Amino acid sequence: MQHEARNKGELCWQVSWEGMAGIDPQGSRRTALAAEEHLSSQLLPYSDRKMCGIALTAECIFFVSDPHGLYPLLEATENNDIYAAAWIGIFVGFALLALSILGIVGVMKSSKTLLLVYIILMLITYAFEMASCITAATHRDFLTPNLFLKQMLERYMKSDTDNNNDKQMTEGVTKTWDNLMLQNQCCGVHGPLDWQEYTSAFRMTHNDADYPWPHNCCVMNTRSEPINLDGCKLGVPGFYNSNGCYDAISGPLNRQAWGVAWFGFAILCWTFCVLLGTMFYWSRIAY
Amino acid sequence: MAPSSLALNTFRGGASTSLGSLFQHLTTLLQSQKALQTTCNKSQKTPSQGVQESSGMLSHWVVLVLCCLGQLCADQSMKPQLAAPELATNNPTLTTVALEKPFCMFDSSLHPNKSYAIYLYVMKSSASTISSVVTDSSSKPLDSTFQQTHGGHLGPYKAASFDVPNCVSPPRLADAGDINKVSDVLKQYLFRVGDDGTCLYDPNFLDVCNPPLAPDTTYRFKYVLVDNTEGIVKDQTLWSDPIKTRKAKLPMKIDIWPGRRSGSMIVITSILSVSVFLLLAGLLASVFSALVESEDPSAETKGMSETTQQSELRPQLSSE
Repeated sequence: MQHEARNKGELCWQVSWEGMAGIDPQGSRRTALAAEEHLSSQLLPYSDRKMCGIALTAECIFFVSDPHGLYPLLEATENNDIYAAAWIGIFVGFALLALSILGIVGVMKSSKTLLLVYIILMLITYAFEMASCITAATHRDFLTPNLFLKQMLERYMKSDTDNNNDKQMTEGVTKTWDNLMLQNQCCGVHGPLDWQEYTSAFRMTHNDADYPWPHNCCVMNTRSEPINLDGCKLGVPGFYNSNGCYDAISGPLNRQAWGVAWFGFAILCWTFCVLLGTMFYWSRIAY
Repeated sequence: MAPSSLALNTFRGGASTSLGSLFQHLTTLLQSQKALQTTCNKSQKTPSQGVQESSGMLSHWVVLVLCCLGQLCADQSMKPQLAAPELATNNPTLTTVALEKPFCMFDSSLHPNKSYAIYLYVMKSSASTISSVVTDSSSKPLDSTFQQTHGGHLGPYKAASFDVPNCVSPPRLADAGDINKVSDVLKQYLFRVGDDGTCLYDPNFLDVCNPPLAPDTTYRFKYVLVDNTEGIVKDQTLWSDPIKTRKAKLPMKIDIWPGRRSGSMIVITSILSVSVFLLLAGLLASVFSALVESEDPSAETKGMSETTQQSELRPQLSSE
C-alpha cells in the first residue's frame, strides 16, 4: 500500500515536471487522472525555454551588430562593457537552447546522471548570464552627458595623435560624430555652445572666426554644403542646428543596456524556478 | 538717453516681438527723431527773424532750449550696439563681435552732395589704455592698425571702413529667414569684428585688416563719420559699452563621475545574487539528501528480506 501510494505520488510529480519543462508527455504516462488534471492546467507552450534561449541570442546579435554606429564612441571612452554583456548574452542564449534539449531528454529518461549534468551546466550558464546582466546595468550608469562631451572635445578632429591606437580611436570618434550631426541634425552634446564654452582639439586646428562650431552643425543642402555659411557662423536661426545630440546617443545605448539587463533578468527568474524544480525532482529520483 | 536707442533697448528686452515689427518701430522712432531735429533747426532760425511778441519769444526760447538739449543728448548718447540677439544668437564669440551698423546715427551731419565713409575703431577697455582719441591734431582720422596698437592695447585701431548705411530703407530683419536674401540682410545690417583670420599673416593684404580679437577680453567700439573728399572727421559716436568676448574652459576639468548608482542596477544585482545563493544551497541540499537516502535502501531491503523470510518460514512451519 505504502509503495503504491509512493509510486503514484511520484508519478504525479514526474508528469507535472515534464509538463513544466515543456515536453509533450507521452501517452503511456497518462495513467493517473490527478496527474493528468494537474498537467493540463500547467501545460506550458511547447519548448518554452528553447524559445527564451533563441530570443536572447537574437536580441544580443541585434545589439552587437550596432545598427546606430555608436560603438566607436564607447570604444574611445574605454567603457564598452555593455557590448561585452551583449556578446555574453549571445553565447548564453545558445547554451540555454542546448541545455534545454538535454534537460528534456533527462526528464524523459528520468536519468540521474543526465539530470545532474544538466543542473551543473545550467548553474554555470546561470552565472554567466548573471554577469552579463549586472555588467550591462552597471556600465549603463557610466554613460553620462559629460562623458561624451569630454570625449568629443578631446578627440573630434584631433590632429596630433600619439600612436596607432589613438589614431584609430580618433578617426572612429570623428566619423561617428560627423554622421550623428548630419543624420540627426544636431550639434554637440548639449548644443552648439559646447564648442564655444570649451577649448577642444577641434579649436586647435580650426579658428573661431571661421569655425565657431564644425560645419556639420550647419543646415545642409542636398550636396552636403551649408546653405549659408555666414548665417551658420553668426547663429542665425534656421541656418544652424541648435539642439544637442545627447538624445540621439543615449536613446539607443539605453535601449541596449536595459534590453540586455532586464530581458536576461527575466530569463534568469524563470530559469531559477525551473532549476529549483529540477533539483527537487532529481533528489526524488536519485535513489 | 535718446528715445530711439532707449526704445531699441526696451524692444530687445521684450523678446517676443517679431523681427519685422521690431525694425518698423525702430525706423518710425528714428524718423520722428529726425522730425524733431528739423523742427529744432527751424526754431533756431526763427528768433533771428523780425520782432515777435514777448510771450511768443519766450515760448520760442523755451522750445529752442528744450530742443537743443534734446538734440545734444541725442547725439551724445549714440553708441555702437551689439547686433540683435534674435538674429545673431552666437554673439559675442571667443574672438568675434557682431555689431549693428550705425543706422540713422549720423543723418544730421550728412550733406546730400558729398560722399562719406564710416570707420570703425576698436580698443581694449583696460585701465592701462594710453589714448582713446581717434583723430589727430588736424581732425583727420587715425590710421592705426592692429599690429601697431598691439591688438587695441595701446590705443584704438581701425578695423573697418564701409559706406553709410541706408537710413531711409534699412534691411528688414524678417528677410533673414529667406535663403536668398539672408546674405544681403546680414551684410547690410551688421558688421562682424574679428572676421578675417588670415589678413594678419598675408603680406599682400592692402585693405583694412580685421583680425580676430582675443578671448576673455573687454573691448569698446566707436563709429566715426569721415568726409571722403576732405578726409576729415565730421562726426563720431561715443565709445560703446564694454563688450567682453567669451572665455573657454578646459575640457579636462569636466567631471565624468556618474554619481549614484541607479535603482535598477541595485535591484538586478541584489536579486540575482540572492538567487544564485539559493540555487547553490538547493543543489547542496538535494545532493546531500540524495546521499542520505542512498544509505536507507540497504535498511529497506533488509526489512523486505526479513518479511519474506518470515513469510517463507510460516508456511514451512504450517506444513510441518
